Amino acid sequence: MTSYFAGIDVGSTITKAVILDKGIVASVIGPTGPEQRRLANRVMEEALNRATLSFQAITYIVSTGYGRINVPFADKQFTEITCHAKGIRNLFPKAKTIIDIGGQDIKAIRIDAAGKIIDFVMNDKCAAGSGRFIEVIADAVGVPLDKVGGLSLQSKNPAKISNICTIWAQQEVAASLAQGVPVSDLLAGVHHSLADRICRLVNRLKVEEEIVVTGGGAKNKGLLKALSDQLGNEIRVPEDPLITGALGAALLGKEIVEKAKENHTPLKIKERILEQIEIL
Amino acid sequence: MADEQKEAKPKKRMTATQAAASIGPMVKEFITGTLRARAEGKQKIAYTFIVCHHEEIFRAMDVVPVWTENFAGICGAKRDAERFLQRAESLGLSRSLCTYALCGIGFDQWREELGQMPPDAPWGGQARPDMMISSGQILCDPRSKWYQASQQFMPDVPIYNIDLPHPLFQRDQDHREVWGYYHKYIVKQLRGLVAFLEEQTKKKMDYDRLRELVNLSDRTWSLIEETYDLRKAVPCPMGTGDAMNTMVPINFMMATQQAYDFFVNLKKELEEKIAKGEGEVEKEKYRLMWGGGLPAWFALTDFNYFNSKGASFPVETTYRMVAPLNQMNLPETKDPIEHLAWRWLGYWTLWFDKAKKRPGSEPDVERLINRIEEYKIDGVVMHEAFSCRTWHVGLIWQLNQLAKIYKPISVYVVGRDGKKEKVYRELPSLILESDIIDITSYSEVDTRNKIDAFIETLESNRLNKAA
Repeated sequence: MTSYFAGIDVGSTITKAVILDKGIVASVIGPTGPEQRRLANRVMEEALNRATLSFQAITYIVSTGYGRINVPFADKQFTEITCHAKGIRNLFPKAKTIIDIGGQDIKAIRIDAAGKIIDFVMNDKCAAGSGRFIEVIADAVGVPLDKVGGLSLQSKNPAKISNICTIWAQQEVAASLAQGVPVSDLLAGVHHSLADRICRLVNRLKVEEEIVVTGGGAKNKGLLKALSDQLGNEIRVPEDPLITGALGAALLGKEIVEKAKENHTPLKIKERILEQIEIL
Repeated sequence: MADEQKEAKPKKRMTATQAAASIGPMVKEFITGTLRARAEGKQKIAYTFIVCHHEEIFRAMDVVPVWTENFAGICGAKRDAERFLQRAESLGLSRSLCTYALCGIGFDQWREELGQMPPDAPWGGQARPDMMISSGQILCDPRSKWYQASQQFMPDVPIYNIDLPHPLFQRDQDHREVWGYYHKYIVKQLRGLVAFLEEQTKKKMDYDRLRELVNLSDRTWSLIEETYDLRKAVPCPMGTGDAMNTMVPINFMMATQQAYDFFVNLKKELEEKIAKGEGEVEKEKYRLMWGGGLPAWFALTDFNYFNSKGASFPVETTYRMVAPLNQMNLPETKDPIEHLAWRWLGYWTLWFDKAKKRPGSEPDVERLINRIEEYKIDGVVMHEAFSCRTWHVGLIWQLNQLAKIYKPISVYVVGRDGKKEKVYRELPSLILESDIIDITSYSEVDTRNKIDAFIETLESNRLNKAA
């Protein structure tokens, strides 16, 4: 009988779910709202539908991300640091440095040859340097988020954006727009500024190749180019960078089950009920 | 004027020892004592700072010290600093300055404006001083500026500044070649303080009493060393969370019998806990060192959070402002002032010789390495308080240097050729970021997320080592 493992990553802006047997069976991405617990149910339900599985068919569920404790049906929780390391290591066996550019924060993780975490750094409290920074700027220049990266690559003369504060940078961009600076130059400048901030954080670790960038920021080609230029290294990106945390969570669940089998220890598993919970 | 609303009361931190639990009332009593002294008017009151080796002089002259950093810390711990910080900001002072100083200046300005304590002042408030003794030592530059700012609101209160330097570490120089000069200078500074206090109190220094108090301090130093050494036990009977309480007698009550007796009792309590096998946490899984940085006083419950994950803190470098006197080789002297100056120099140069023996090391790093080995440490936690630049600017450098020269964790990994190989890893470290008393710099969710990730790293190491 096939065993299935689910990972659910409740991030600050997006909730992701992955169902796994030997490979990925289904994955779902949905927005995280204020009602995280209800949304976790919905995303899980959608993943089960795509995999054509019943909830009872899932052997083990691991949740991660900021909202990990708000997933009532998860059997265990891990931080996104551990889950990203596990997920990326699975996709890139030679990875040593992982940079996760999330909606509200950035994390850099250093792993050793065995895939174990040696060190990590996270920014906190300030959205500068995170995906939110790009969202705000995209809004300010009136360019859809998915076009920002490509457009910035057309720049021949990136603008200087000196402010690292999201709000002040937004004002700086507005002033530059008024002065007639091309949007592509502004966006390139924003990516340089962002890459600079990310590098300052990442360089607190001893950066080693391979470097893998994941999270929503990894979908932005302009940012990746600026980051690669500033780090002076080639950057690898997963095919679907949004789900690496959820993938890692599912893989950790699989490991837990295998270890329990090996040691003949019982598993603590929650009742498989996908009920809707109101928290507001 | 700034919104002067009080913040919500913080949750109480659970202590592992009864001694640590007794500190709150003790601090309250000495704050109240300063207010009583002010009301009675029999003793002179002096604002001053910790780590100046001058407590004995104050006590011998019957001058009541008001530890202004302590009062700011109390405001922070009670989550009641914001209204004083906002006061200081409204005076045009930047939030990025030392928030202890801002809190103190804001409080002083408000008290002087009202002519009485600000409403609901923490534990009755900070007594108006008769004098202010600042210290422009290299440890912390705001300490020579703070009282100058406060003097704007108290122009009648004189300031005396003492300068307490020490030789800086030079790998190719023996500090003993120059410390005679430093000693001469520090003795002059301390004698100057005595003369100033004599002038202010209209009393002469009783040198026999001073000698007794210096002797009491020395004995307290040795007792503290013996007591804190007990924390090497596994499981550790008392952690850094408690040590952030027991720092009070070390830093604010030195040269008192009460401080000595406190450590007699604490030592006894720790010995009893060790005999019963009682640890700070029920099942000790990880032993951590608080490797530097002043704590976020409003978030001391984070230590309980670490504890809930099986992490204990047997040792810290912060506020352990004593060192083994028998390792300092201090020149003999019968003059208590000269002894204070030697002790000061002995404390600050204690790690110099050891650091020279390890390539790439420095005294602060050497101290970390020694503590890691003596206390069987699995990971290092530091706190970067944004407003305390003097103390915190070197923390990341210390961690980097530590990682570079010290890799104590041996693990087996499967190499690229498929063979098992032994590699050495550095100790995991965690840097927490917020402030000493500015709560607006702190996010409990983010801090605890970092702690969770750090614990997972420690667990991964633990399993690897076991494997």
